[in-house]
Amino acid sequence: MTVQEQVISPAPRPIGWPDRSVVVSIGAVVAFVALWATVTGLEWISPLFLPSPSAVARAAGKLIVSGDLWRAVLASSIRVFAGFLLAAVVAIPLGISMAVFWSVRAVFSPFISLLRPLPSITWIPMTILWLGIGEQQKIVIVFLGTWVYILLATFEATRRVDPLLIRAAHNLGANDLTVMREVIFPGALPGILAGLKVSLAIAWSCVLSAEMIAARNGLGALIWEAKDWGDMTMVLVGMVSISLTVLAADAIANRVELLLQPWERHRRR
Amino acid sequence: MPTILSAQQVTKSYSSSGTDVVAVLNLSLDIEEGELVCMLGASGCGKSTMLNLFAGFTTPSSGRVLLRDRPIAGIEPRCGMVFQSYALFPWKTVRQNVEFPLRMRGLARSERRAMADFFIDLVQLDGFADHYPAELSGGMQQRVTLARCLAADPEVLLMDEPFAALDAMTRQVMQDELLRIQRQSGKTIVFITHNIDEAIVLGHRIVVMSARPGRIRRIIPNPLPQPRDIAVQTSTAFADLKTEIWREVEGEVAQHIVQSRLAGSAQ
Repeated sequence: MTVQEQVISPAPRPIGWPDRSVVVSIGAVVAFVALWATVTGLEWISPLFLPSPSAVARAAGKLIVSGDLWRAVLASSIRVFAGFLLAAVVAIPLGISMAVFWSVRAVFSPFISLLRPLPSITWIPMTILWLGIGEQQKIVIVFLGTWVYILLATFEATRRVDPLLIRAAHNLGANDLTVMREVIFPGALPGILAGLKVSLAIAWSCVLSAEMIAARNGLGALIWEAKDWGDMTMVLVGMVSISLTVLAADAIANRVELLLQPWERHRRR
Repeated sequence: MPTILSAQQVTKSYSSSGTDVVAVLNLSLDIEEGELVCMLGASGCGKSTMLNLFAGFTTPSSGRVLLRDRPIAGIEPRCGMVFQSYALFPWKTVRQNVEFPLRMRGLARSERRAMADFFIDLVQLDGFADHYPAELSGGMQQRVTLARCLAADPEVLLMDEPFAALDAMTRQVMQDELLRIQRQSGKTIVFITHNIDEAIVLGHRIVVMSARPGRIRRIIPNPLPQPRDIAVQTSTAFADLKTEIWREVEGEVAQHIVQSRLAGSAQ
């Protein structure tokens, strides 16, 4: 083996000292919170309009101790997960079929064109009428708000699979089903997963709007109730919780993405 | 030896941005069983088109392509393609890539494993079986493609400039390997190259192609003794054959350079 045929190793990362940009980012956040504390501490803005960071932290602490915050996060998360899973289960096979079979594409594309521009919030009146304001309605709202995006991402990703690989698989004796399962699906997987990650963020905004309009619990309901009491501190607690929950969901999604595509390990490292 | 692959007055044209391009014009060629034929020509001589026709990736505009006297209809697994751009499955390891055709042939797991290891050894990639293609160099990926194609055990190997991306020494080793495999298995090989030395070292016959449209200029039988080791490669017979082939392609290459210069200045 020649020297150039050695396995290419990724560029070494400097160790020990954190990245300069991370230091600057942390500094920026600290400066922002300090500014927020100063503005509210000196009462340049009334606490009625903008509560201080310490008030938000205290309120959050109380909610965490009482367990109410976890219950709200959990309630919303379960709805997101159920609706999102349902959407993926329906949209991924359909998206692949649409990319592969022209007839499936012809049947479904007019409906998708019509459904795509509808924000999920427009489905809320009808779903409440049909399903009430319970769990089912929330899950259906998440489903309706995400499935089109997952489908379109799957469709595009499937269409972009290298036709040379499909030829090669047939040339090696594979039938259509094997090509579908072992070439087209894994070939489209990076695009499908990217679409799922985008849709996950959309799923969260769906569930929050549904909870704000009609729900007994969940992060959206928490914010909306606090609004009714004029309690901006609690509204901010809810907003920060949403941010952190969605970030955590994103981090989990990234881990899952890597686990599902071990062949990407080389590029990601 | 009987004819295994046969092109009969094959013409292949396709339209590219509105204009009709004739890639191959009225080409007839019989390839005998167990033969190693090198198709030699400059770019644009239709040699890749011929390979795609043999593999059944495309169909001729007119004329017939026959495998064992039957027209090739659809992608033909009996004509295994060694792709120039590798076409490895990026989500499969080297072993999984090589095992793929073995699974398609319905072999049992243990047998598959043993055969995959055999072919991986054959192309000198032992120790890299669990690597993904993206973790290998171009030359190594090319060898995986060859191993995968051999594992499919096709009757004809179609090789599209498979060693073009390899460094000179690896190429020499791979050429020796290919000749050894060919002698042992008696497989028919259609080998495309634009390298005259490679064509002479490998080919039982050398099909010199001319470009625009792609046609056969001359078919030259290769009388040099085998194995064509360094002694043969430095002999006067080798040099004479090379000169003879060069005379055939010389005008072609010069014309090609002039044409691409004209195309370049026209833009």
